[in-house]
Amino acid sequence: MELKDKIVSFSIDHYKLVTWVMVLFTVACGAMIPLIRVDTDPENMLSSDEPVRIFHNETKQRFNLSDMVVLGVVNEHHEYGVFNPDTLRRIYELTEFAKTLQWDDPEHEGRQAGVIEVDMIAPSLIDHIEGGGGVVRFEWLMPRPPQTQQEALEIRDKAMSNQLLRGTMVSEDGRALMLLLPLTDKHLSYRVYSALNKKIAEIGGDEEYHITGLPVAEDTFGVEMFIQMAISAPLAMVTIFLLMLLFFRKLVLVISPMIVAMVSVISTMGLLIGFGFPVHIMSSMIPIFLMPIAVVDSVHILSEFFDRYTPQKGRRQSILEVVHALFVPMLYTSLTSAAGFLSLALTPIPPVQVFGVYVAVGILIAWLFTVTFVPAYVMMIPDQRLADFGMAVRHEVKQNWLTRILHRTGRLTSRAAGPIVAVLILVTGGAVYGITHIRINDNPVKWFSKSHPIRQADIALNEHFGGTYMAYLVLSMEAEGKDPVSDSVRTMAAAIRDKAKAIQHEYPKAQSAAEEIVGILDSEPFRNIGDWPDRLDYFSEMANEKMDAIPEAEDALFYAWDEMASFVKDKVLQRSFREPFKDPEVLHYMSGLQKHLEDLGLAGKSNSAADVVKKVHQELTDGSEANFKIPASQEMVSECLLQYQQSHRPHDLWRLVTMDYQHANIWLQLTSGDNRDMERVAEVVDTYILDNPPPAGMEHRWAGLTYINIVWQDKMVWGMGQSFLGSFLVVFIMMSLLFRSPLWGLLCMVPLTITIAVIYGIIGLVGKDYDMPVAVLSALTLGMAVDFAIHFLQRSRDLYAQNRSWEKVTVEMFGEPARAISRNVLVIAIGFLPLLAAPLVPYKTVGIFLCAIMALSGIVTLLALPAFMKLGEKRLFRPKAAPTGPGCNCGFCIVLSIAVVVLIALNLHQYWHMGVTRLTWISLILVPLLALTCGILSRRKACKMIEENKT
Amino acid sequence: MKMTMTLLFSFFISLSSPAWAAEPDVPSVDEIVSQANIMAYYQGRDGKSTVSMKITDKNDNVRTREFIILRKNDQPGGDQKYFVYFLQPPDVRKMVFMVHKHVAADKDDDRWLYLPSLDLVNRIAASDKRTSFVGSDFLYEDVSGRGLEEDRHELIEVTDESFVVKNVPKNPESVEFAYFTVTIDRTTYMPMKMEYFDKHDKLYRTIESRTVKNIKAEEDGEEVEYPTVTESVVKDLRTGSTTEMIFSKVQYNIGIEDSIFTERYLRRPPREAMR
Repeated sequence: MELKDKIVSFSIDHYKLVTWVMVLFTVACGAMIPLIRVDTDPENMLSSDEPVRIFHNETKQRFNLSDMVVLGVVNEHHEYGVFNPDTLRRIYELTEFAKTLQWDDPEHEGRQAGVIEVDMIAPSLIDHIEGGGGVVRFEWLMPRPPQTQQEALEIRDKAMSNQLLRGTMVSEDGRALMLLLPLTDKHLSYRVYSALNKKIAEIGGDEEYHITGLPVAEDTFGVEMFIQMAISAPLAMVTIFLLMLLFFRKLVLVISPMIVAMVSVISTMGLLIGFGFPVHIMSSMIPIFLMPIAVVDSVHILSEFFDRYTPQKGRRQSILEVVHALFVPMLYTSLTSAAGFLSLALTPIPPVQVFGVYVAVGILIAWLFTVTFVPAYVMMIPDQRLADFGMAVRHEVKQNWLTRILHRTGRLTSRAAGPIVAVLILVTGGAVYGITHIRINDNPVKWFSKSHPIRQADIALNEHFGGTYMAYLVLSMEAEGKDPVSDSVRTMAAAIRDKAKAIQHEYPKAQSAAEEIVGILDSEPFRNIGDWPDRLDYFSEMANEKMDAIPEAEDALFYAWDEMASFVKDKVLQRSFREPFKDPEVLHYMSGLQKHLEDLGLAGKSNSAADVVKKVHQELTDGSEANFKIPASQEMVSECLLQYQQSHRPHDLWRLVTMDYQHANIWLQLTSGDNRDMERVAEVVDTYILDNPPPAGMEHRWAGLTYINIVWQDKMVWGMGQSFLGSFLVVFIMMSLLFRSPLWGLLCMVPLTITIAVIYGIIGLVGKDYDMPVAVLSALTLGMAVDFAIHFLQRSRDLYAQNRSWEKVTVEMFGEPARAISRNVLVIAIGFLPLLAAPLVPYKTVGIFLCAIMALSGIVTLLALPAFMKLGEKRLFRPKAAPTGPGCNCGFCIVLSIAVVVLIALNLHQYWHMGVTRLTWISLILVPLLALTCGILSRRKACKMIEENKT
Repeated sequence: MKMTMTLLFSFFISLSSPAWAAEPDVPSVDEIVSQANIMAYYQGRDGKSTVSMKITDKNDNVRTREFIILRKNDQPGGDQKYFVYFLQPPDVRKMVFMVHKHVAADKDDDRWLYLPSLDLVNRIAASDKRTSFVGSDFLYEDVSGRGLEEDRHELIEVTDESFVVKNVPKNPESVEFAYFTVTIDRTTYMPMKMEYFDKHDKLYRTIESRTVKNIKAEEDGEEVEYPTVTESVVKDLRTGSTTEMIFSKVQYNIGIEDSIFTERYLRRPPREAMR
């Protein structure tokens, strides 16, 4: 008795025990589900030590940046848009309300979490600077809601006159106003979102209110995703159940696949949570992926059981026969599907790894219970309840539409094998063309369907403003304290004397002060001091002493001394460490880059320290447009920056530049959060910097959620691509082992290759973005499509052994085995259509794709495989040698070796970041070595013995 | 008649007021605040000091400022003139800020700003005085003092060491606080601590006098000692930023000329302002 029969007999004989073990296992795993931790943060698509994340967090800290909720108010009815007393009063009220959205921080005792009041941007909370005619004015833009239309218009004019606000807080057309609400933690955004929505409902008025921003989209998605899970997964399950009932007409029997599906979903999720992994957007999809796979094997058993069962044979004998025939294909399909998902563990994205591993675990759990519990379940059904069950009883062979279609398909494949293959090749060619047109893109806001309020808000606000997506371009110039111009006293003395000459008309005593200063620098103690900071200290001390000693009567000397001493300290001894981002040249460069981005229409708006300097300069001088410029010297820039800090919100400056002026932040607003657009912005910046060399030593790096998204997208696309290639090889190796022939292994790969090519070809042709769900679905395709191929090939081979003619095999294959495949296709394809009703786009995508994958892989399996087998009958079904060990078949061994080498190379490449050339060398050595081993192996004595025995 | 009214009045006060109302040596709240105002802003006829300021943000980034401040009173508790000359940071050296403070309720202060590199003299328009003083956590109003008649004062606590006065603005829209309390030393009348509260009764800002020194000076030919705050710290609890202000070389009654506080001297400050 073979092992497989032992397992089945055991299950049949101890069906109660098997059932109890399963129930206990499920309950034990399920008990861990309440420990669930949810993680809806796409940032976690990258591991926390990923450089871009570290830099992003550093940037947030360095520039005091926070993730923001964007609240937009649009008034399309009023003549002056939002600038009327009513709307502004409501905006004021909302601002006051938003200030209160703070709660005790659970993580930091005594601190508050929520909206950061001091950093909020709203008309009542920001400053207005106005100058001209020798008077400057610093005041709140809207200290209180205006009483009259006139006052409202004054507020509009003030806001519009400020470059820093136009396009950011107020729209150019005056129809819309945007409040920016920074949060202590972006995970509070859904809470803030809900509270604002409630307040807006109370506030009345005919304005439109929109809330958006990446944090809100991401957080809201997380919340809605779990609601969707609770609706979609059960809905899919019910549909699958009804479809199975339709096919098998036997409620008691149909329940068993549902139990297997439930058990594997519950225990997998339980294990995932129990092992301490948070449930991420990816892992929340595990049930949806697991369900079809878990059901497939049971449907194969049921389908076969339905066809073979006769009351005479009885359930025990029938189920034994069924499992005997299906055990190996089921084992292999499960192993290959599991391998397909396991390969996701090679993708360098933690949530995708967890997803892959646990789907694989779930598949194996499902397999285990399919082969043990389903037979046990059948034994629990009394024979009399199966009295009217089965194909034999129903005599459905003739009438059934499904059987009729399959028969015809069977005949077609043997008659028109050539044309079918030709068509498939053509289709694949077209698909490859489509694949080259795939557009890789993602945008968390677009995970909501167009009718969702967040999506609506996104569309409305990005129409009115410079954009609601924030990206930060951080420029750095690490300027160490430079050594003095020269350490030769003579050079220094010359510089000092030149200076004295230059200021002599203003400071008549400059020359005598200069001589005294040179005296200090030329003195023994000064020269004996080793390093420059100490020399500077010494000089300052000496200078102060000298100046204090100047008698009251000699003011002129004092003034000259003061002027000369500060020149020596700042310029000669370089006291003022360079502060690069006060340097007009550097500010001009930033300004140019910003203008370039805005001119290309890539950034709707950008703000930087350069803009602040220009605005303040304009207002300090005469307020004219001509003076909206960066002044000529660093001192002038400093004065402008200091004036900016004399406002109600001095800390606003430190969002744009660090206090040491070594780093600056260009705050970009993008109207689109599409990764494609962010990528383009990054590219344009790189090109600009290449074409226009920046001031020496300037470096640039990106931060911001919009940018982080493109980094993980990039990793995902390439990671997925490589892990897909890896799993393709794994499956190929497994298939070759299963069928003991690389040729059969290759044949097995045909349906899934065509299916994947066609699916992704269509994505490319239709213009659907290749995003996260689409990328993950490739793993599912691999698992499902190979499943059908294994069943088909294994059965064909068994039947050929009996019939020795492909013609006859075709007829039989398009009987029961083809029916099982078709039933599976229909059950799962239709079962997941309810997902289309979900308001979240990734769910829709999964629904459509599951349907397409199942339908396509079913059709391709049923058309391509028989056609290929018909054409290659002679080659495929050579009179078979007695079973030999794989080591004895030289060609087989070599093909496998090469596949293994490539597989290893892929992994090495991904994990140790080895370059292709080094890997090529390793492969070049390894492959011949392995081939040699293969040759030696196949010439072993043991192999010879078998050969001899045969002859 | 008058006598009975007074008796009756004090009777009601003793019924409705806290225990200290009956204490004989507790002056009226108006006396307390006006005395405190003089201690904090009007010591001597004039005064001069070098001030160094250290601004530390919540990430421990530090910036410094150094300036010389000259002050002259028209009369104690009345109008005043201030002249602030910047020594540090180097790139704003020689910047000057000048104030003619007017205590009359209907007269706004006159303020000037001189920016040496841009070579601009600007008047700062009569508007909000509660903006940051050179990017620190001190506000302009903290430097030159807040008019007493802008708030309603209420004595809310008396201890052995101090009086605590609650100040509620008469025009709440003009300021960002709902009220502030001042803790005044009972013996010196020096304001030792100010606490600012928002509309939700939440404390968001404090100013503390850390060190008070007695500075020797001459008044009408006699040697006197003026208690002077030489170290004070303001904390903004919302931004997490702190500013320390240290006064050194404090001098009183040095005979500063009125003429110094004129526009003419902004561009070429007097020697007193520079050393």
